[in-house]
Amino acid sequence: MPDRREFIRLGSAAGAGAVAAVSLPACRREEKRRWSDRAYRKAGSSKVAILPADSYEGDLRDVVTVGLRMFPLEIAGRRVVLKPNLVEFDPQGVINTHPALIGATIESLRTLGASEVVVAEGPGHRRDNEYLWRASGLAEMLSDTGTPYVDLNSDAVRPVRLASDFTGIGTLYLPQTILDADLLISMPKLKTHHWVGVTLSMKNLFGIVPGTVYGWPKNLLHWAGIGSSILDINASLEVPRFNLVDGIVGMEGNGPIQGSAKPSGVLVLGADPVAVDATCARLMNIDPSKVAYIREADAFLGNASAERIVQLGASLEAHQKDFRVLDAFENLKFDAMSFESRTAAG
Amino acid sequence: MSHRTKYGRQGPGQSRQHRAATAVSASSASALARLGAVQERAHRGLIAAQNVDGGWGAVSAPPSETESTSLALLALSCSSTEKARGSVQNAKAWLLERQRADGSWPHSDAVPVSHWMTSLAVLALARSPEERPAAERGARWLLGQEGRGHSWLTRLLFRLFPEKKPVDLDWDLTGWPWMPDTFSWVEPTSYALLALKSLRAGLSDPRVEPRISEAERMILDRTCAEGGWNYGNSTVLGEELWPYPDTTALALMALQDRPRGDEIQHSLSALERMSEANDSILARSLAILAFQSYGRDVSALRTALVLQLENGDFPLETRAAAFAALALQMDANPLQLSRDA
Repeated sequence: MPDRREFIRLGSAAGAGAVAAVSLPACRREEKRRWSDRAYRKAGSSKVAILPADSYEGDLRDVVTVGLRMFPLEIAGRRVVLKPNLVEFDPQGVINTHPALIGATIESLRTLGASEVVVAEGPGHRRDNEYLWRASGLAEMLSDTGTPYVDLNSDAVRPVRLASDFTGIGTLYLPQTILDADLLISMPKLKTHHWVGVTLSMKNLFGIVPGTVYGWPKNLLHWAGIGSSILDINASLEVPRFNLVDGIVGMEGNGPIQGSAKPSGVLVLGADPVAVDATCARLMNIDPSKVAYIREADAFLGNASAERIVQLGASLEAHQKDFRVLDAFENLKFDAMSFESRTAAG
Repeated sequence: MSHRTKYGRQGPGQSRQHRAATAVSASSASALARLGAVQERAHRGLIAAQNVDGGWGAVSAPPSETESTSLALLALSCSSTEKARGSVQNAKAWLLERQRADGSWPHSDAVPVSHWMTSLAVLALARSPEERPAAERGARWLLGQEGRGHSWLTRLLFRLFPEKKPVDLDWDLTGWPWMPDTFSWVEPTSYALLALKSLRAGLSDPRVEPRISEAERMILDRTCAEGGWNYGNSTVLGEELWPYPDTTALALMALQDRPRGDEIQHSLSALERMSEANDSILARSLAILAFQSYGRDVSALRTALVLQLENGDFPLETRAAAFAALALQMDANPLQLSRDA
């Protein structure tokens, strides 16, 4: 009997709420290269920092500043756009990048000389921004720090020719706030995802796709395939980028909305989104080489293999947690024996 | 390790305005005067936010786009001031200049593709006799659009193995998508229903009644277990989804001329609960419009909205500002369907 992922693949796309996981059948990959030279960003190696951070109450600004200084980032005099993960609100849940971390990052960037810091997001589920800002605590943080917010769902847009062709979409209309940024920082939450396994810094960029053009929940991308869309969007953004993952409290199980809190006590930083996401997957006890879109991104967008990642800060093994996943994704996990021996060694 | 901090877990609650509203009589002369003043301010705010090209942007700035322009036009059509009349004429001109040859409207000049926002342009122009032909061309384009379904193979597999369906819905029921060639969702289907129903009598197209009937069934099929609507699913992977007040209000408005059976009452009750928990201007305004279309007393909610708008800034988002202006309207709510439409 076919399993759930087989159904989704056979269905070629998806219906409501979702679906159309990763349409990256192996035979298609072998046929031809699906990305242009302009999409190639893979370096010889990539640095990723893991920084311990136990709570949202401490002085996160200092932790973030230490982390940012580990990388040769040009921040002084630059307009920096922070793209958190703000999707939905559940009073019992941990869906969104925590406002305290966003606030700490704003302060840190100002300390480092950023000329302007903007928070920008296009929530994937809710159109009621006022509700989402207030309920999530983002409104109060933005007010306290005097930071402007741009709703990417309704921002002015420009057409962007995609630099890869996993979806066949060809062109996406994307927000000017993102395209004109001097530096774009993707700030996802460390979460499992019920269609593609994990949602991290690359998947977080679904939020830049404008809802007023493509609908909620970014339905065109679901039809085109979530994994394929992640690759096309990340391949086609040519603004300087950085990634800062909120892993202080992550989400396990039925993420990205209805999962459970998973305290993990880390921030993960790096310029290479593939290396950052691969490291995050390993922190969640998930083998990134088994996550289809990360494996595909490793061919041209960045480095997923551990051998090509220069680990900074704390050791990965010391902070690795066994994130619960849906049954359909059990095959993505490192085997239990290997997990125990690694964490014991760490 | 804690997730609770100064900013976390704020959660919406019943606002000061809502509590205060219960103490203010909406029928008093002073309350009516306050409502009138806030309504005038709402209209002035919309007029001030109009772009020089005659349209409105999503916030008070260019570029203009079809959704905001249509909603602002709907709201200002209720005003009889000289300035509002001029603003309405400019808005109509913006829309008419952008109608595509196939009858549809684009998102904006920057996104020149036929779009779900066509329903809103139709709705905004349908009330004006001189623009009705343009609205009817838009409605005919809508009749040719439908949400994409699954392939026959996937349908067959889901039929053979229903337990494998990721979402629990009737795949055969079609409404309207956001973008052509994608799935049907509750919000674009609700707008399309309101648009078609507003022109129903004059369209004389055999597709009208079957499309309306199927779309109504599609919306009802997607009702959440607790009543109301999420964006389009009631469950995903066996987990129940929670309803949203804005989507629920729009769906209820789209169904307002149907017989009011248990399923509608269930969702009206859900909207009542959500209105207690979510006091955003958008949610509250849409709730007022939805309850009004079912003949319910909205005086307490409207008084709460007046207090909310008196005590704070008007919403920067055109969509929320336009729905607020419409919700302040004591009569002639243009989203209420007349039986002879």
